[in-house]
Amino acid sequence: MGRVIFLLEEPSMAAALRGILPKIYPNWVENVDWIAIPHGGKSDLENSIRRKVRAWNEPGVRFVILRDNDCGDCIARKARLRDLASDRDASEVLIRIVCQELESWFLGDLAAINAVYNRTGISPDNIPAKFRDPDKLANAAKELAQLTGTNAKVSRAESIAQEMNLSANRSKSFQVFVSGLQRLVRV
Amino acid sequence: MIIESLRIKNFKALQNVVINNLPQLSVFVGRNGSGKTSLFKVFAFLKNCLRNNVRSALNAEGGRMGFREVVTRGHSEEAIEIEIQFRLEIEGKWRLVTYLLSIREENGRPYVEREILRYKRGRYGAPYHYLDFSSGKGQVVTNEEEFDEPEKELTRTFQELDAPDILAIKGLGLFGQQFKAASAFRKLIENWHVSDFHISEARGKKEDEEAYHLSSSGDNLPSVARHLYENERPIFDRIVEKMRQRVPGVERVDVEPTADGGLMMRYTDGAFTEPFIDRNVSDGTIKMFAYLLLLDDPKPFPILCVEEPENQLYPELMYVLAEEFIQYAERGGQVFVSTHSPEFLNALPLDTIFWLEKKDGVTCVNRASDYELIRNLNAEGDPPGALWQQGFFNTQRLEN
Repeated sequence: MGRVIFLLEEPSMAAALRGILPKIYPNWVENVDWIAIPHGGKSDLENSIRRKVRAWNEPGVRFVILRDNDCGDCIARKARLRDLASDRDASEVLIRIVCQELESWFLGDLAAINAVYNRTGISPDNIPAKFRDPDKLANAAKELAQLTGTNAKVSRAESIAQEMNLSANRSKSFQVFVSGLQRLVRV
Repeated sequence: MIIESLRIKNFKALQNVVINNLPQLSVFVGRNGSGKTSLFKVFAFLKNCLRNNVRSALNAEGGRMGFREVVTRGHSEEAIEIEIQFRLEIEGKWRLVTYLLSIREENGRPYVEREILRYKRGRYGAPYHYLDFSSGKGQVVTNEEEFDEPEKELTRTFQELDAPDILAIKGLGLFGQQFKAASAFRKLIENWHVSDFHISEARGKKEDEEAYHLSSSGDNLPSVARHLYENERPIFDRIVEKMRQRVPGVERVDVEPTADGGLMMRYTDGAFTEPFIDRNVSDGTIKMFAYLLLLDDPKPFPILCVEEPENQLYPELMYVLAEEFIQYAERGGQVFVSTHSPEFLNALPLDTIFWLEKKDGVTCVNRASDYELIRNLNAEGDPPGALWQQGFFNTQRLEN
């Protein structure tokens, strides 16, 4: 199997993957089996996609593109990214829009947040209504900053991701990311 | 191109490093501790060996413990080896010359285990040891002018230096008429410039001295500025014009004699009638002015080494600064730069960029353009600085 290249909007996504991927693929070694390519924001990511899919010519290589939806039109965003990656067969490229921000994925696992930051005051048995469907939150990053008391996005992502339980996440966009990745890798 | 290749063993972080086909401009990036500074120290070290002797160069680099501090940890029983291959004009012909220096320590005393200067006599054949010394004794060819005539027997003379830690090229290089390769190489080392610029030393009142080139620390900045103003006026004016474009507010730059016979810089801000004396000017302003004096020098150094030129400067200035280095190299000087600035890298051609990386604790040097993936990405439009930030300067990623 070829390597999986993750084209990411920003460094905190790479930090999250470093916690998440070992739970799905314990044998994977970064840079050998998978590569995280963080970018400096959305436009930097979008400018980079076509270059990466065209330049990379090792056999069996596959791409995963992750971008925040930021309350935009998710279908249109996906179509645009698909177009940018059109130099590759669609079966080699997984496009996932994070709804609405990366932090929604963390808010989908309050137990993981509690394990790192023992200050949220939220019991996983009694989740406030707004966190029951974290993909609907328009300001997940702000909510997470309040719960955790920190704005250090990368180290926050790194430590929460390590505690995550992938099968019990309330974020729909997280679940379809995981299942999409498993399908991409299985092919 | 002057230096073609470098091979370094057991010098500080560089346990075993080889760099071949060095371009006219070489730019080095790498994490902290990857060995960039050690690489630049090789140049200062050799220059120091030549100016004084090996022992004092080791002390200057490693303190009182000298050799033990300079040699790579865990390798103190081995020799420090520096091998430089360079093109040199000897007797009207360009030669590929190799200089090898190996240094060891015995009973707490450093000595030159071997010092060789070699090149080929004709187009073919094995290189010839023109100079070959160890522990202060050795032989040197005396009829170098007959080098081209392979049938002629070369005559050698035995020489003894004053001490086993003195370089033969120092002792023999002085007799330029007789020992051409040795003295040419000696001159090359003497004239290479390792910038160790300190803003604090460039600031304030300075002695009024004869100075054509900026010194290593920058402490003769006003004298160099005055020399350019008086003797190379178009260059001085061009530098001031660049200052105007790059540093907001700077309108004029002048050198001012002080009452007690010294010199100092004066920067005039267009918004104020009274000029600033240089004490009140920002670090970045002084640094930019110093770089312009260094890089617009009408007589480039044969080799110029600058570490992290981006410090104190605004990221937007990186592109122009990088281009100053490119132009300096195009005017004939060979340039070695280290940087942590992606903006600086973005202005450079891929084949000038090297990265240092530790593999199993040992530094290795890689050239960006040696990797197909990097070449392809660059050709598709990714600038080198972006590729570096995205983690592509990583052999594990590239070689799997």
